[in-house]
Amino acid sequence: MTATLDGLRADSDLALDLYETMALIRRFEEFAYRAYEEGDISGTVHVSIGQEAVAAGMIGALEDRDKIISHHRGHGHAIARGVPVESLMAELCGRSSGSSGGKGGSMHITDIERGFLGTMAVVGSAVPIAAGVALASKLKGAGGVCVVFFGDGAVNQGVVYESFNLAGLWSLPVVFVCENNSYAITMPVAESTAGPGVAARARAFGIRDYVVDGQDVLEVYDTARRAVEHARRGEPSVVEALTYRYMGHSRGDPPHGLYRVKEEVEAWRQRDPIAILAARAGLSPAAADEITERVEAKVEQALAYARGAAEPGDPALYRDIWG
Amino acid sequence: MIATGSLVEEVTFVEAVCAAQRDAMAEDDSIVLLGQDIVAGFPFGATKGLAEAFGSDRVLNTPISESATMGCGVGAAVAGLRPVVEVDFAGFLYLGLDQLLNNAAKMRYMSSGQIRVPLVVRVGQGPLGSFAAQHSQSLHALLSATPGMAVLAPSDAQSAYDCIRWALKQQDPVVVCEDLRIYRAKGPLRRSAAPSVGARQARAGTDATVLAYGAGTGIAARAADRLSRDGVEVQVVDLVSLAPLDVSAIAVAARSTGRVVCLADDSPFFGVGPTIASIATCEAWDVLAAPVLTVSAKPVPAPYSERLEAQVYPTEQSVEVAVRQVVDWVED
Repeated sequence: MTATLDGLRADSDLALDLYETMALIRRFEEFAYRAYEEGDISGTVHVSIGQEAVAAGMIGALEDRDKIISHHRGHGHAIARGVPVESLMAELCGRSSGSSGGKGGSMHITDIERGFLGTMAVVGSAVPIAAGVALASKLKGAGGVCVVFFGDGAVNQGVVYESFNLAGLWSLPVVFVCENNSYAITMPVAESTAGPGVAARARAFGIRDYVVDGQDVLEVYDTARRAVEHARRGEPSVVEALTYRYMGHSRGDPPHGLYRVKEEVEAWRQRDPIAILAARAGLSPAAADEITERVEAKVEQALAYARGAAEPGDPALYRDIWG
Repeated sequence: MIATGSLVEEVTFVEAVCAAQRDAMAEDDSIVLLGQDIVAGFPFGATKGLAEAFGSDRVLNTPISESATMGCGVGAAVAGLRPVVEVDFAGFLYLGLDQLLNNAAKMRYMSSGQIRVPLVVRVGQGPLGSFAAQHSQSLHALLSATPGMAVLAPSDAQSAYDCIRWALKQQDPVVVCEDLRIYRAKGPLRRSAAPSVGARQARAGTDATVLAYGAGTGIAARAADRLSRDGVEVQVVDLVSLAPLDVSAIAVAARSTGRVVCLADDSPFFGVGPTIASIATCEAWDVLAAPVLTVSAKPVPAPYSERLEAQVYPTEQSVEVAVRQVVDWVED
């Protein structure tokens, strides 16, 4: 039987699992942020601190046969899917034992064994791929659902709506998840997006829409279960999760940015997803501390491992291009 | 009706395209077709009868959404199908290029081989005749300059069939550039389930070499026939595959005569012709008897007027003039 939201809140195993996933994402992102400053990570990193509940709740509701595609801010999704933090950190550090062999980096994480099909860094570009993955699942009768994450910055890309249309037309087993973190780099949603938002736009395509508090992981999880269940029956949906990134867009952007006030960031920090779950699930401070210490040790170990791992050898330059 | 088995039949280029898809789909039920009006086989008949033969799960009409259609093809390929995305005119392909160039061509590399994208894109290229600038384009150079895809340019019915059968057995993206000028050209077809698609000598000759592809191969062969009447014997090499490019075949062909003309139907600036010419020069500089010449299209958008359009693309005459130039070249 499907538990109610209250039932979920009483499920302490679920709460502990989700708590640990969110804590692991948080620590990983903090370490990645610092490792960039210390020169271990090149290029840039986009961390998802503040948005952990969306990744943990959505992906926590999936089965092994389901697939995930994400975007440039995708570390959290990979971690929630069980991609080992060693291989993830090694990828960020450009090592050959990284999840993409050191050739993808922070913006291109793939773990095919876990159904994590990749993260596309052109905004909105992953969305039609999810429709295609769902089409394959449908035609093969595989029963799997594809979940694709994108940000509020993607909701004004035409291809997103072309994809909603295909999903509606062909009854595809897909869930489109908009992580509305309030800003597309520096552009507030209100200045970029006309009308009531992406979930409301989904209705025009005859597909389901959900708007969810993205800081409440149990609410996200509950919505995800329902959306995924429907998708499995050929009823696609859009889930808009209202969330916030505490840090800047990328490492090139100061933590609070020049486009938002400190008070706004502080107000969102008061609605921290990890603290909210601890309170709702009645997690004891001792239990929470124990998890925090465990994930911290895991991430420390991952960074030490990544620092010591080898860079790709020259043959990798020409490997895996074509043929 | 096209005969099956090892019989040789006269068919048009586009009938061969259709036959290749039909034969491949009968063998491999992971092949699905995506495109506009493909159930009806409109506008050229390249998918005629396939919806009736294989059903609506395998021949899917798409809305006019080139970007999502290409992306859907990418996703379906990633997830174990073999999609063929049809794009009637190269001008429409621009809308799908983010999916093709950023995703299909790069996902394998970015994932160190975890992801494979066995996507086939069929795209109509070149002028159909007075269809004006947006419907008359050649994107071979842009496509071939993007690592991660194969780009094929068949030159006749047999080569079209072979390219599509071959493409549908690869594990990585293949774009088949179908030249609209030769869609209705008839030629012999012998069906083979496992053809090869390398560069081939379309005509033997010892006085000069023309390197061509697509419709250019036929143009070069006809120019060679004219020159033969004057005792000039021209070798024509049909490159077929622009990516990967068979550099050693270019080297052998260029070195065998030392007098080379490169034929292309795109711009002389940053186009296919200058690239092939540069490779031929590098590979044969020590035996070249004349500078390598290029015959390209005029660097103009395709005009509507028949009279003007006739001046844009290489012709038998322009190839003949270039061949005579390299043959008559004398070092000072």
